[in-house]
Order: sequence, then C-alpha cells, then structure tokens
Amino acid sequence: MRISVAARRKNALNDLSGYLFISPWLVGFIALTLAPLLASLYFSFTNYDILSPARWTGLENFKKMFFNDPRYWKSVKATLYYAVFAVPLRLGVALAVAMFLNRKRRGIAAYRALFYAPSIVGDSVAVAVMWRQIFGGEGLINACMRLVGLPGKTLWLADPRFAIWTLILLAAWQFGSAMLIFLAGLKQIPSELYESASIDGAGKLRQFASITIPMLTPIIFFNLVMQMINGLIVFTPALIITNGQPLDTTNFYALYMYRRAFENFQMGYASGMAWILMVVIAGLSALIFKTSGRWVFYESEGR
Amino acid sequence: MRKRITSALGAVSFHALAAVASVAMIYPILWLAASSLKGPSEIWRKVYSLIPDAPTLENYVRGWKGFGGISFEIFYLNSTFFALVGTIFTIVSSAFVAFGFARIEFRGKKILFGCMLATLMIPTQIQIIPQYIIFSKLGWVNSYLPLIVPKLFGQAFFIFMFVQFMRALPRELDEAVAIDGGGRLTVFTRVIMPLMKPALFTGSIFSFYWTWNEFFTPLVYLNRPKQYTLSLALRSFSDPAGLTDWGAIFAMSFLSLIPVLVLFVAFQRYLVQGIATTGLKG
Amino acid sequence: MTKRMTAALCAAAFALMSFGAWAQSSQKVELKIAWWGSQVRHEATIKVIELYQKLNPNVSITYEFASFDDYWTKVTTMAAGGQLPDVMQQDYSRIAEWQKRGLLEPLDSYVSSKTLNLSDVAKPIIDSGRLDGKLYAVSLGSNSYSMMLDVDAFKKAGVPLPAQDWTWNDFEKVAMKIHEKLGIYGIGGGFEVDELAWKSTLLSAGKTMYTADGKNLGYDQSYDRLLVDNLKLLQRLIKAGAAPTYAEYLASFGGSSNNVQLDAIVTGKSAIEAVWSNQVVAVAKAAGPGRNFAVVHLPRLKKGGTPGNFLKPSQFFSVTSQSKNKVEAAKFIDFFTNDLEANKILNAERGVPIAGKVRAALKETAEPVNKEIFNYLDRVSKDAAPTPPPEPSRHADIRNNVYVPLIREQVFYGQITPEDAVKQLRAKALEILLKP
Repeated sequence: MRISVAARRKNALNDLSGYLFISPWLVGFIALTLAPLLASLYFSFTNYDILSPARWTGLENFKKMFFNDPRYWKSVKATLYYAVFAVPLRLGVALAVAMFLNRKRRGIAAYRALFYAPSIVGDSVAVAVMWRQIFGGEGLINACMRLVGLPGKTLWLADPRFAIWTLILLAAWQFGSAMLIFLAGLKQIPSELYESASIDGAGKLRQFASITIPMLTPIIFFNLVMQMINGLIVFTPALIITNGQPLDTTNFYALYMYRRAFENFQMGYASGMAWILMVVIAGLSALIFKTSGRWVFYESEGR
Repeated sequence: MRKRITSALGAVSFHALAAVASVAMIYPILWLAASSLKGPSEIWRKVYSLIPDAPTLENYVRGWKGFGGISFEIFYLNSTFFALVGTIFTIVSSAFVAFGFARIEFRGKKILFGCMLATLMIPTQIQIIPQYIIFSKLGWVNSYLPLIVPKLFGQAFFIFMFVQFMRALPRELDEAVAIDGGGRLTVFTRVIMPLMKPALFTGSIFSFYWTWNEFFTPLVYLNRPKQYTLSLALRSFSDPAGLTDWGAIFAMSFLSLIPVLVLFVAFQRYLVQGIATTGLKG
Repeated sequence: MTKRMTAALCAAAFALMSFGAWAQSSQKVELKIAWWGSQVRHEATIKVIELYQKLNPNVSITYEFASFDDYWTKVTTMAAGGQLPDVMQQDYSRIAEWQKRGLLEPLDSYVSSKTLNLSDVAKPIIDSGRLDGKLYAVSLGSNSYSMMLDVDAFKKAGVPLPAQDWTWNDFEKVAMKIHEKLGIYGIGGGFEVDELAWKSTLLSAGKTMYTADGKNLGYDQSYDRLLVDNLKLLQRLIKAGAAPTYAEYLASFGGSSNNVQLDAIVTGKSAIEAVWSNQVVAVAKAAGPGRNFAVVHLPRLKKGGTPGNFLKPSQFFSVTSQSKNKVEAAKFIDFFTNDLEANKILNAERGVPIAGKVRAALKETAEPVNKEIFNYLDRVSKDAAPTPPPEPSRHADIRNNVYVPLIREQVFYGQITPEDAVKQLRAKALEILLKP
C-alpha cells in the first residue's frame, strides 16, 4: 500500500504530538517503574533477602511455590474466591445506586455523600476496629440476628467458612468510588439524546436500554477491569482486619507475598509470586479487552 | 392534582428508601463518631451502642494535643499539603497523557497503552525496595520528594479512567476547533477538559482521598515524625503490646474524614445534569 | 604595606576567622535513632533523647518511630538503600537475621574501653546479645513470660494462688477449679503460642528448640511426647470450658488485633492470662483501678524441676554497621542503660532495667504494679532456665509457615491430632533448617 507524502507527513505529526502528550507518563515509566519492574523479575530467579546481595537460584522459587507450598495454593484459592464474589457484588450495587441517585431531587447531594462516605473510611486503623466490632462475638450483626430470633452466636471473624465474607462485605460496603465513576459517566451522556428520544416517543425503559447502557459501556468496561485488578491484589483489609486468619482462609495472595518478603526475608520468592500474579491479571485483562470490542460502544469512534 | 400526588408519593418513597439505605451504609461511621465521644472506660464496655452514656470531648482534646510532642495539627497540615499538591499534579498530568492515548493515533500506542495498564498490576510491596534504592541514590529519601515527584508523571488508574471518558465524547467538537484553525492543545484545553468536568471532579476526589490515606510510601520515605502524615501517625500510635488510646485515635480518625467529605460536598455542583452540547452542532 | 593591602589582609583574616567559627559550630555529631512501640514509649524515649541533647550540646539527634509491623518494613527497606539509622531497636527473634548479614556493629571494643559501660550488668544479660561470640546488642530491659493472676477472682473461687514452682498438672487443676466455681475461663486465650507451648515446655525439660549453631532442632524425637501432652492438656481445658476456643480468642479477645482492652482477664472473663512481664502494666491499666493482680512463673514439667521461664531481653539497641558515628552511638546506648534520670523517664516500660543501680533506684519509687514486676523478675533471675541463644534466622519461616498454621490453627480447629501435628512440625522444621 503506497502512502502519499501528505499522509506520511500527517503520520509523523501524529507520532510527534502523541508522544509529546504522553511524555510525562513515559518519562516516569522509564525512570521509576521499568527498572524496578525488571529488577523484580530478576529477583524472582534468586534468593534475594533484601539485606544481602542476591544469588541466582534459577527456577527454585517457582518449584517450591507450585509443588511444595500448600499455603501458596490456599492463598490463590482465597483470593479467587474473594474476587469472584466481591467484584460483581460491588459493581452491581454501585451501578444500581448510581442510577438511583442520578436524578434531580432535593438533598440528592447529601445522599450521594452518605453513600460515598464508607469508601472514605478506607483502610484506616479505625475501619479495622469498627469492622471487628460489628462482626465480633458480641457485635452488631449477632445482636441483629438475635432480634429476629436466630441464635446469633456465630464467630464470623474466626469461622473458616465466614471470615472471608466479612471482607467481601467490606468491599461491597465500600462501593462508593465505583458508584461515583458510574455517576460521572451517567452525567456525561448528552441530555439532548434523551430529549430527542422523548420527542420520538420512546419510554423511560426504552431510553435506558438504548441510550443509557450503551453510552455507559466504556465506563462499565473501565470499572470492570479496575475492580477485577483491585480484587486480585487486595491486601490491607486482610492485613488489618483478619490478619490472614483463620486457617489461611483470608491469607490473600498479596498479603502472603508481603509476609514472605518482609517477615521471612524471602524477597526472591515474593518477587516470583508477584510476577505470576501480574501474568494472570494481564491475561484476564487481555481477555476482557478482546471481548470488549463486541459490547463496548465509543461515541467518538462511532462503534 | 393526580400529578401532584404521584410526585409526592414518589418523593416520599425515594426518601424513605434512600434514608434507610443511608443509615445502613454509615452505621459504622456513626459508631466511630459515637465511640470518639465515649470516655476511655466506656468505649469497650457497651461496644456497639451508638449513644454514649456520658458524652465527652476529652478524646478530641487529648488527640489534638498530639503524640510524641507533635500536635495533630501538624499531621493534618502535612496530609493536606501532600494530598492537595499530589492531586493537582496527578490529575493534570493524567488528563494530559490520557488525551494523547485517547485522541491521537501514533505508532507504538497499543504497546505503550498496554505497558501503562500493566503498571496497575504491580504490587507496591514488590516495587518499594528497588524504588527506594533509586531514590536513595538520588539522595531524595527522608523528604517528600519521592512521594510527590512521581505524581507529576500521571497515574495509570486516572490515565485509563480519563481515556475511557474521553473516548465517550463525540468527535464533532474536536473537528469544529480544527476547522477554526486550532491545534491539538486547543482541543485539549477548550473542548475536552470542560466536557470532562464530572470525570475530573471524580478523579480529584479519588486522588485526594487516596493520597490522604497513603501510608506505605510515607512510612518508608519520611524519617522525621514532624513530617508524618495523618494516616501514618495514627498507625504509629496503635501498637499491640502497649496500651493504645483508642478514644483519641477514634476522634482523630473521625476528624480525618472531614476534609474529603468537605471537598466532596463543595464540588458537588460539577456533577451537573448532563452536558449541554446543543448549539455546537449544526 | 599599602593601605589597600592592609585592608585586604584584614578582610581575608576576618573571613577566615568567620569560616573557622562557622565550621566549628557546625561540627555537630548527628545521630539517627529508630525504635518501635506505642505512644507511651514514643513520648518517654523522645524525652530521654532531649535530655541527652541537653547534656551533650554537640550532638544533634533525629529520631523516627513506628508500630511494630511498620517498623520492620521501614528498617528493612532502609537497609536495602544503605540508609539505616545509627542506633536501631532490635528484637530477640530477628536479630540473627541482621547480624548474619553484617548489618550490626560488634560492640566489644566499646565495652572494654568503657565508652559503653556494662560493669553494672549481670553477665547472662550481657551475653543474651552475643552472637558468634561477639556482642551485637544491648538489652533494654529484662522480660519473662508470666502468668498474670486476678487475685480477687482466685479469692472468690476459694483457690489459693499458685506457688512459684507449680506444674502443668497444677495448672490444669487450678483452671478447672476456677471454671467450676466461677463459670469463667481459667485461662484467657493465646496460650498455644510457640513461646509457651513449644519453647517453655522444652526449656522445662532441659532442652532448647534449636541447637546453639541454629542448624538443627535442639531436641530429639523422644521429647515430642512432651509437646503432644501439653497440647492435649490445653485441649482438655477447652473441652471442659475452662479455656476459650481458638476461634473465640480470635473473634472476641482481640486475637490478632492484640487490643489489650479486650483481653479476657481485663473484661473479667478469665482469672489467668499468659503475658510478657512488660505487658503487665498495660493490662493492669486497661483493667482499671480497684483490680488486684499477681504475677507468677510459668508452670513447669516437674515439681522442683527446671522452670520454663528464662530471662529474655525485651528489646535491644544495636549500632548498625552503616553508621558513621559509631562512638557517639555507643555513648548514647551507655546513657540509655546507666543514666538514672533517663531511666526514671522510661519507667521500665521496655522491661526491668539491666543496670543494677538503676534497677534498685527505680524499684524504690515504683508504683505497686511496677514493683510487682521488679520482684517477679528478681524471682525469675534466681529461678530460671539458662537463656537460650537468639532464634536462628530460619525460625521466622518455621514459626510463621509451619508452627502457626499447624499447631495454633489446625490442632485447635480440630483438623488434626496433636500427635500428627507434632510429627509434621518436626519434619517440616527440619526441612527448612537443613536446606543449604
């Protein structure tokens, strides 16, 4: 295919302006992220213990990880279980509430703030204490259960079946950020689309299906990818609320990796764990991206 | 008349549903506030009651006096400075970078976009050691530099988010500017940024709140307690083996929620109803 | 000489003198110090640092502190970047890791030159900071595991307070009786930690967990039975309701969050609690006024036999090899150890002071609970197993990845028998220890 001089010039101009715009990120990436990234890849083939120079050990870390570390597989299982429930729960609630709060009403700002507030509490020390209180033996949940006639003696935080659910519920409770993003996306849908649809006689439900959802797909896509990633690298709640217990049912992958690195000085092993995780997440993201062509609609690209 | 009744019913049912749900949502925060008003001996007695027997402000007084000879005011100011500066740097640079990815076709774009996304998947705990070594060689440790300078380079989360929002914006507006002889930068500043207000506002809230709560990097790079951020200070004072002043920690934790909430309420109006693009077409 | 030259010479002389004066005044020695702890410790330590600076105006000290977990993340990262402080707080169970990698400075030369004067410290206590024959750390206070007793609960139950040399059988009987009479737990949770169920049991039998060189287990298979018996005893207590289940300990007594205010003995849910002696003050404070506590030795295997207690350094101060001011660092540690004023401020929060004169002076003015701890440590120093060497570097791996999941969790969640668990403990620990 022959490219005309004009087209080639346009390409070069595009390249230049493209790289100019992304240059802040590119500089930071090369200077601050690439080297550590490659370093950690190298470490995963060594016995690096942070405090002394690394020694090459080849595939030993990975052999141990896959064949001689039952806690590793427990952490994989716990993380997947968590992600499978926490991600859809959080997204579903966030979308539903965003739509519920996407209207003009008196006091709507206050409600939005109230629904967003849990996310602000975040990963602080206070959240851990709060959450442990609510789910404790004499906590709120059990008290409510007793109110409705149930025995209400479950030790949520110490029961291997339920401890992970206290963390899943925490994720669901903190849907505020995802909700805000959905709200912003809803706000960005041009109002005249709805107006002309009304003029054409389309009802609320029809408008929802043909305007709201399609226009929202880029945002749904974003939230899906981000929540999936966040679900798999979950760390702080497991650290401060359940400490990975009981019986490793909440010993999430990132927590276990952190412990191996900083408590056992096995940074090489932890780096290996990190790379396996990154490969898996990259694979899942690539999958979502590939299928996105079919269901994501970009207004600016007329798809 | 019927319309009035249905709209009134609608309002009542909306408020009823929203109110009940809100209470369930913020109950834990109410608990935090209530506990912060309880005296030290009361906090752990009737743990989940929301009404203090003898409400007192002593936790706030004690907490504000601070710990280790440093008033909490200082931690507050540190966090505010860090969060504000960090947010401005992050949002502006991320939007700038996002425009490049969203609106310009350039060679290598797909690969670089993939690299950008990949950085989201790198756990901090693994990055921290090599990054610390880099900053240590630069002589930047023991200061806020390693915390703030990286934010000038944009953050993948926001870049990705803004890219998605930008791609959802129609191109006609870009073309209108081009016809009038404006360059890419003009498109960015005159067209895209104003339309991105909801996304920018949302992103700013997130960035502020995340930076406000960040503790891992401050832990490692700040070596003087006077420089500590609020989240770091709160963590330093709750130690397992000793007696923790939970009342003061609850009080200060509750106070630390205020700035983000204030920011949120203050900028609510940017979450405006729709985008009026009429008048730009045709 | 012309007027101009004179003026120039005067100016030059003046400049030189000013420079000299500036150089002199900025000849301050800079020390960096890091420690972990809680608010009480932070404030006390800072006051001591300020005192030191007042007495040594040419020294300028910057300090940093964090909670326990955060501290180790911080200093590990600092070590990687060559940014370690001059003086760092160290922990008995981790110090081998650091010493092995040459990150700590041997202190023997400072001791012999009396820069770091340890003449008032008992030899066993000094030696607890010795690795490979060299002194790498100075204890900041002596500690020992203990059983804390709620005196009033014992009175109400009509059970006499245990004697110093009580055995595990006595312990079982006491716990059961308390539960029978008062309906509360004989012992609060956390009794199956490795310090108690593993280490002290072996010490009481005259053995240690590891060999002196840390390359093998310090006891052979015939001693496994002791561990099994101890675990079975604890299981019997739980079954009878005289001790909480591990699940309840996790959920209600703070478990891993280590919230002292939730301890069973504080809330009156148990009559005995196993704690480190330097935690007794915190527990007593949390319990509030009007409560009476006593502190007694851990139970031992045989009446009149070796105790399960040993004199442990609660924490250490070490000088790092990356330090550029090692002499001043050693001087600071000397001050911390021997200065009476400083120790009055510290108030034995890190454990009973190791210098004899300091200890005696503090005991005089101590509050009742603190006095009790001083007396307890006195008793322990006269009746203790020999202090074992610091845990070898692989102990962290064994404790976190073998002991806790296996013994603390699987046994007490009823997933495997004590026999099976102890067998696996041996096998897996050896696997880790014998790896090249």
